[in-house]
Amino acid sequence: LGRRARPVRLCQGCHGHYRRLLALYGTIARAVGNSSESHNCAKSILTSDRLQIVVTLSEFFNETWEAANCANCLKNNSEGLSNSTEEFLDLFNKSLTCFEHNLQGQTVYLSPNNYTEVCKNCNETYTKLNDLYNNLQRMNRQGGESGHSAHLCIDVEDAMNITRKLWSRTFNCSVPCSDTVPVIAVSSFILFLPIVFYLSSFLHSKQKKRILILPKRIQSNASLVNIQEKYS
Amino acid sequence: QLTPSSFLRIGQLSNVDLNEDIHELETELPRQRPNEIPHNEKLLSLKYESLDYDNSENQLFLEEERRINHAAFRTVEIKRWVICAMIGILTGLVACFIDIVVENLAGLKYRVVKDNIDKFTAKGGLSFSLLLWATLNASVVMVGSVIVAFIEPVAAGSGIPQIKCYLNGVKIPHVVRLKTLVIKVCGVILSVVGGLAVGKEGPMIHSGAVIAAGISQGRSTSLKRDFKIFEYFRRDTEKRDFVSAGAAAGVSAAFGAPVGGVLFSLEEGASFWNQFLTWRIFFASMISTFTLNSVLSVYHGNAWDLSSPGLINFGRFDSEKMGYTIQEIPIFIFMGVVGGILGALFNALNYWLTMFRIRYIHRPCLQVVEAMLVAAVTATVGFVMIYCSRDCQPIQGSSVAYPLQLFCADGEYNSMATAFFNTPEKSVVNLFHDPPGSYNPMTLGMFTLMYFFLACWTYGLTVSAGVFIPSLLIGAAWGRLFGISLSYLTKGSIWADPGKYALMGAAAQLGGIVRMTLSLTVIMMEATGNVTYGFPIMLVLMTAKIVGDYFVEGLYDMHIQLQSVPFLHWEAPVTSHSLTAREVMSTPVTCLRRIERVGTVVDILSDTSSNHNGFPVVESNPDTTQVAGLRGLILRSQLIVLLKHKVFVERANLSLVQRRLKLKDFRDAYPRFPPIQSIHVSQDERECMIDLSEFMNPSPYTVPQEASLPRVFKLFRALGLRHLVVVDNRNEVVGMVTRKDLARYRLGKEGLEELSLAQT
Repeated sequence: LGRRARPVRLCQGCHGHYRRLLALYGTIARAVGNSSESHNCAKSILTSDRLQIVVTLSEFFNETWEAANCANCLKNNSEGLSNSTEEFLDLFNKSLTCFEHNLQGQTVYLSPNNYTEVCKNCNETYTKLNDLYNNLQRMNRQGGESGHSAHLCIDVEDAMNITRKLWSRTFNCSVPCSDTVPVIAVSSFILFLPIVFYLSSFLHSKQKKRILILPKRIQSNASLVNIQEKYS
Repeated sequence: QLTPSSFLRIGQLSNVDLNEDIHELETELPRQRPNEIPHNEKLLSLKYESLDYDNSENQLFLEEERRINHAAFRTVEIKRWVICAMIGILTGLVACFIDIVVENLAGLKYRVVKDNIDKFTAKGGLSFSLLLWATLNASVVMVGSVIVAFIEPVAAGSGIPQIKCYLNGVKIPHVVRLKTLVIKVCGVILSVVGGLAVGKEGPMIHSGAVIAAGISQGRSTSLKRDFKIFEYFRRDTEKRDFVSAGAAAGVSAAFGAPVGGVLFSLEEGASFWNQFLTWRIFFASMISTFTLNSVLSVYHGNAWDLSSPGLINFGRFDSEKMGYTIQEIPIFIFMGVVGGILGALFNALNYWLTMFRIRYIHRPCLQVVEAMLVAAVTATVGFVMIYCSRDCQPIQGSSVAYPLQLFCADGEYNSMATAFFNTPEKSVVNLFHDPPGSYNPMTLGMFTLMYFFLACWTYGLTVSAGVFIPSLLIGAAWGRLFGISLSYLTKGSIWADPGKYALMGAAAQLGGIVRMTLSLTVIMMEATGNVTYGFPIMLVLMTAKIVGDYFVEGLYDMHIQLQSVPFLHWEAPVTSHSLTAREVMSTPVTCLRRIERVGTVVDILSDTSSNHNGFPVVESNPDTTQVAGLRGLILRSQLIVLLKHKVFVERANLSLVQRRLKLKDFRDAYPRFPPIQSIHVSQDERECMIDLSEFMNPSPYTVPQEASLPRVFKLFRALGLRHLVVVDNRNEVVGMVTRKDLARYRLGKEGLEELSLAQT
């Protein structure tokens, strides 16, 4: 695990080990039959001390494997990497070689911001890689909604992340924004419409008037005095 | 005694200086011509009547009571419980329907816009995306606004002011009809999908009330089908109680807060309460939230997960992860003050806007155009802010359903877009629970500002829409900003978790706008699922209410006043003990004699200058110099039924009447009694006599002339009366007190003020 932490090659490198670990732990933990012998064997290895290191470690490995979602890029029987994953890693290596190739010509005293070569030549490979990744994501989301994690396996995700960071941050090959003027024009037109509307309704509409109804009440002098007192 | 000249006085507006006018009024002749004034908030409209909550215990009713035995009463009680259960189930189902349809349609719209923006980001021509978004919004809102403006205008707004008035005892025309329910549900779906800054929780309360009113009658007057069940409940008394249950079920379905729903009904209809009603309302609320929960769980695929008790779910607030200490209480109170001030600002702006709308934008086409413009501007504001924002962040997990990349690096998404493309409910939950550091303060600040003004502009449009969720969102946003700045100021102390401050900010803002204390506290406590948060929420809400009330009223109360509804508060204004019933009452009163000529009755009912609904019945004496004491009270609706069935003394003598009139005939005509113009009385029949003794209420409530205004008010409000007869010491009728006479008096800024009546 430790050796394959950065860049993350966890699923590719460790899936064999993990499979064997799972099988071993299964053999230990499962109490086959009713014999108290195998039951004691499991107890003596797993739960005989306070720390229970074997159980803790096994849980840790299981959790990490689940969080990494390695099952996503392995074949169904967990024997090896799936076809789509292999395809992706292949493209990924191609992109990296393309980057290296186009950066080879640069020496130390060339300005580090001159990456136009890389952007031009490697655009196609990068776009193919990006599209493949988006496809994988879409299929993953459609395939399992409840119960499955929404992520692809960590190797694939990390590889994509590295490439994207390189492409957008370091090489700065992203799309620049182009049409500020039409957007400003359309938005100011739309924002201007309510002002026109309110002004025209204020000037043209007849103001709603209310007709007062006279109440039928007794108003004696005493009550007038009351109201006068209240207001003074 | 009563002279014609003594009863004409012009109602005084509070800004008229009375000291000058007193001398004029004493000497000038009474003015007969009514004058016109522009609409203002100090008017009462004549079109609102009271509900007939008080039971008319005439002889027919007493006979029916004697006929029903004990077992039948138990059946009636069981039927009440069954009706409450049905109210709960149907309200839950309607809430599910709204939620599911909104989710699907809004998802469709966001997908279309997002695909379009993604397509045009690479190619250029984003202005086309803006046009598409604005047009989509405007067209959806146009449909929503057209159905409200042209078919059923009472379905506009959130419906909470109308239900508050109904529970207060005011009969708002068309408020609990089936057509209103349909328009309301469709309207709220279209408003939310149309991208307006609104919520869908407020209209649930109105929908619940309509469902309750409909089910409890056992028939549909609109669809002309009578199921012949629940006939005992076809009167205003029972209907109003069921509407309370329906409103509570609506609150409970909207927020997942059953107890909050019960308290909401209690807070609004407080005076006419009894314990059995509380139990039944609680039952209805619980069933409502349980139905919603189970159906939504089944829909989302994990049946019996039961994790969505309401249309909005605040998420779990754990005490360990998000606790608060006693040192933070003053901070919360300060946030309450800020919430109160901001809420008062919101209400004041909305007041001027609504006044403008009532005065100048009163034609339906103009209202529709206004709604379309607001929708288009909302889309434009959102688009411009997304366009100008350079804040890109990688999304964590699947918290955003439709991430928009726009000009960000690959793998990162525009964070302003996550605020605008999410439904407001999801944004609120994200603001509560996202870990610290997920939000850029600048983005959040701009979003709060824009959304505040958009929400203020949107409330009051002719669409079905609520204001709860926008206020929660605004409050959560500035609360979170507050929390972020607090942790920045204290250099990253652990206890300044911004999610907690977002919750308090949301409570403060909502309290500052709607000013509901008790029910809102319990609603928020139940929605967060943690009782320990009840204490700071209560403090925040009380502070916000006190601070806000100093400036302006709550939003719903303000709209009730602007609609000129004669709303009766919990108590009479405090300085009004010097007013007596004699000054408050309307006089002279149109009385009927116990045995009255049919022609007189028809003429009195057809009199268009005074639309009376209750007539005191005095002793019919051939000798007019004798004292004519009060014998009872009869209602217009009862007279119309009598005239329709031609229950005349002469016909009874001739045995022309096949059967005696029963209480069922009155109940069948309820609630839409035919107008007097549709009753045809021939010239001969006009000379017949009609005997009111059996049908009048023989024991109407009366007050002596010298009773003070608070005393009259308390009697009227506590019993839910519609007419209160004022008698002198010889039991003669001198005047009548109705709701409009009492609602006239209000405590204003300078003291007691009197509102005028107007024709609207």
